[in-house]
Amino acid sequence: MSSIKQIPVITERKGNPLARVFDEFVRFCRSRSLFILHYCTGCGAIELPPAMTSRFDMERLGIQPMVSPRQADILLITGYVSIKTLKRVILTYEQMGSPKYVIGICSCTVNGGMYWQSYATAKKLDEYMPVDLYIAGCMPRPEAVLAGLQKLMDRIHSGEANSWEDYFRNYDYYLGNQQKLFGENWQTPTDIITEAKHYDLIGEGTLGKHTQLLEQHQKPLEALDMRLGHDLKEPTE
Amino acid sequence: MSQELTHWLDDLLEEIEGIKIRRKSSRRVRADVPADALPALLELLQGRAGYIHLSAISCVDWIEDDEFELVYHVWSYESHSLVSAHIRIAREPGVYLSVYDLYQPAGFFERDIHEMYGIHFEGSPNMEKFILTEWDGPPPMRKEFDSEAYVNEHLNWQEYNPPWLQELIAEGGGVIIPPEEQRFSRKKD
Repeated sequence: MSSIKQIPVITERKGNPLARVFDEFVRFCRSRSLFILHYCTGCGAIELPPAMTSRFDMERLGIQPMVSPRQADILLITGYVSIKTLKRVILTYEQMGSPKYVIGICSCTVNGGMYWQSYATAKKLDEYMPVDLYIAGCMPRPEAVLAGLQKLMDRIHSGEANSWEDYFRNYDYYLGNQQKLFGENWQTPTDIITEAKHYDLIGEGTLGKHTQLLEQHQKPLEALDMRLGHDLKEPTE
Repeated sequence: MSQELTHWLDDLLEEIEGIKIRRKSSRRVRADVPADALPALLELLQGRAGYIHLSAISCVDWIEDDEFELVYHVWSYESHSLVSAHIRIAREPGVYLSVYDLYQPAGFFERDIHEMYGIHFEGSPNMEKFILTEWDGPPPMRKEFDSEAYVNEHLNWQEYNPPWLQELIAEGGGVIIPPEEQRFSRKKD
């Protein structure tokens, strides 16, 4: 017989008794309305049109393609990521609003796949950004893509898919790998450290020697000068 | 008609000194010429035989012979035939003449070859970086550039061996490459 004192009391979210219900509800809704930004870097992109359109139809799962990173939830990396492309992928990833999820499709995102020997492609995507899910294969069929997306939905619903927090908590690690590949002057237009403070996700690994290096040469971000026509004219001398 | 053209082309090509012609098929001709005779050959082909389309310049690195091979593929829309002009140049210093004044698309091909092999084309309009704008290593298509060593030095690799694959291999399935057939070294963490 267990006395009433032995029943565990969940101390977090003490204030509102409905908070956990809301959390559950929010996670449910979040997992049922996913917009994907497909960054088609390699050959795996060819499996996405059938997955999106009438044959396999990922919209019945509530997943739709989206045009801009600001509005997207999932970043699909389909195929090998060349080092030039990786810079753009990281820019895109940092532009996305949290919570955000990354899926690496094809073997190339796991370890370089058949391009493992190439000087021009990055090998492990999860060294440069946190990856929620890999769908291995060369290339995975639309069924596998859909199965992977369903698995991601389950993980979002159960609250396990929170690797985006890892990017803020361990920013120094990711930045270090990026600097190793792109040089010490690497800087993105997004201020991750300020963002981490905003989300209250400063962890032990957020700041370190790599972020110090970044702060040394970081140029303050300035808004672009919005002018029409002026730059297009020939300089008159 | 086509037979006549063939003879006519042969007669034309005989004008170049030191040329070796091999007929690969009815519409493909391979011509090996000394490096200094190539501009004259291309000028003949373009001006008098209608080979107005330079479809590609390819490059082969023969590191054992210490030579680069450049192959100029020119196509005629009139006779529907392709002439491949092969030349060899010394690997050092790796300099050759541009054919930009004959065929303008050559500018792109030469820029690409310059980037990938480090051959300098004199008179080419632009020898800037083309595709590898963010690459500052050696020209990567040269044979002495060891891509695998570069990868092992700069990038990490991870094994992909999930449980379901291990089960398959235990049952005798999967793709197993025996050690003596593994051609490449993989960096172990």
